[in-house]
Amino acid sequence: MIHVRLEPQGRELRLPKACTALKLLRELGLGVNSALVIRDGELLTPDRRLNIGDEIVVRTVTSRG
Amino acid sequence: MKCRKCKALAAVALPSHNTAFCPDCYPVFVRSQVERAIHRHKMIAPGDRVLVAVSGGKDSLALTLLLHELGHDVHGLHVDLDIPGSSTDARAACEGFFAKLGLPFTVVELRREGLAIPLVKSRIKRPICSVCGKLKRHYFNKFALENGFSVLATGHNLDDEVSRLFANTMRWDASYLSDQGPVLPAADGFARKVKPMYRLTEFEIANFSFLRGIDHVIAGCPYSGRASFPVYKSLWSDLEGRMHGAKVQFYENFLRDGRPVFAAWAEHREDPLSPCTVCGYPTSAEVCGVCRIREMVRVESEAPRS
Ligand SMILES: [Zn+2]
Ligand SMILES: [Zn+2]
Repeated sequence: MIHVRLEPQGRELRLPKACTALKLLRELGLGVNSALVIRDGELLTPDRRLNIGDEIVVRTVTSRG
Repeated sequence: MKCRKCKALAAVALPSHNTAFCPDCYPVFVRSQVERAIHRHKMIAPGDRVLVAVSGGKDSLALTLLLHELGHDVHGLHVDLDIPGSSTDARAACEGFFAKLGLPFTVVELRREGLAIPLVKSRIKRPICSVCGKLKRHYFNKFALENGFSVLATGHNLDDEVSRLFANTMRWDASYLSDQGPVLPAADGFARKVKPMYRLTEFEIANFSFLRGIDHVIAGCPYSGRASFPVYKSLWSDLEGRMHGAKVQFYENFLRDGRPVFAAWAEHREDPLSPCTVCGYPTSAEVCGVCRIREMVRVESEAPRS
């Protein structure tokens, strides 16, 4: 399982198999420029591979007024 | 992906610039974009005292850090809106950030002005976001003028600017189109306003804030749900996904070719400003917008509640 947490919504989900950061964003319906993909405090570019056991934070990019 | 500059493993990919950067080189890229904007539009002169309008979000805090690192004399101002579940966190984020950098910081509390946003919202029928924006602009400008700041800087990014420009274009609002831009020169009763981050997207600033460990608030304003800007923002993000560089081109080409035309038109029909008869602030009406809001809140408060 890959464990994914969405910020700021706080929603959690699990993915059964390895994929890329791009694939994850697509699955969440997000564009490559609309969220940060973070693993262990490190930013991942869309081509990076996500592995079973990873804890991923996807933080959508929105500014307040 | 590899960093364009040093070939290390990239942390941030930027399709619109057709490039990628590692965690060390990326902040340098962001700083150079801001430096270039300041230089190209002569935003800040040596010796300027810069007031930075800070909300607690990533954009305004990143702007503070960048201006400070570029050697400018910065002072932060936060307007506490008194919105439950939002304002306390926003204010704390600003206070913590300025304390950490050791930079001067001031808070204006709308509650003390009798204009706490929940109160205003309950008394006035107009959309609260526009009223709130008006109040913030008023107090930022007032503080800048009364305390001798020559420049007021805001954290507006390319997405903010493009969605605002697009909204104004949708309505062909010529008077807004005549003075939208990254620099508004000082005028009678108005401080010089600059937007040094206008060339950076929200995504680019979010990456910078993450890599530089900026502790900002993430949750949005609970009242901003129905603003029209998010619609335009998502439209533009789709467009940018298909046409890299569309945002910056739309905006820069407007500045070069569109704005001068509207500005020339506006010269003929500018309403002259005169001091507000209540508070002395410059306004095109007899009583300024903020005094009218204050009056509406007062009248509504005194009227029997139905
Ligand atoms: Zn590098
Ligand atoms: Zn007034």
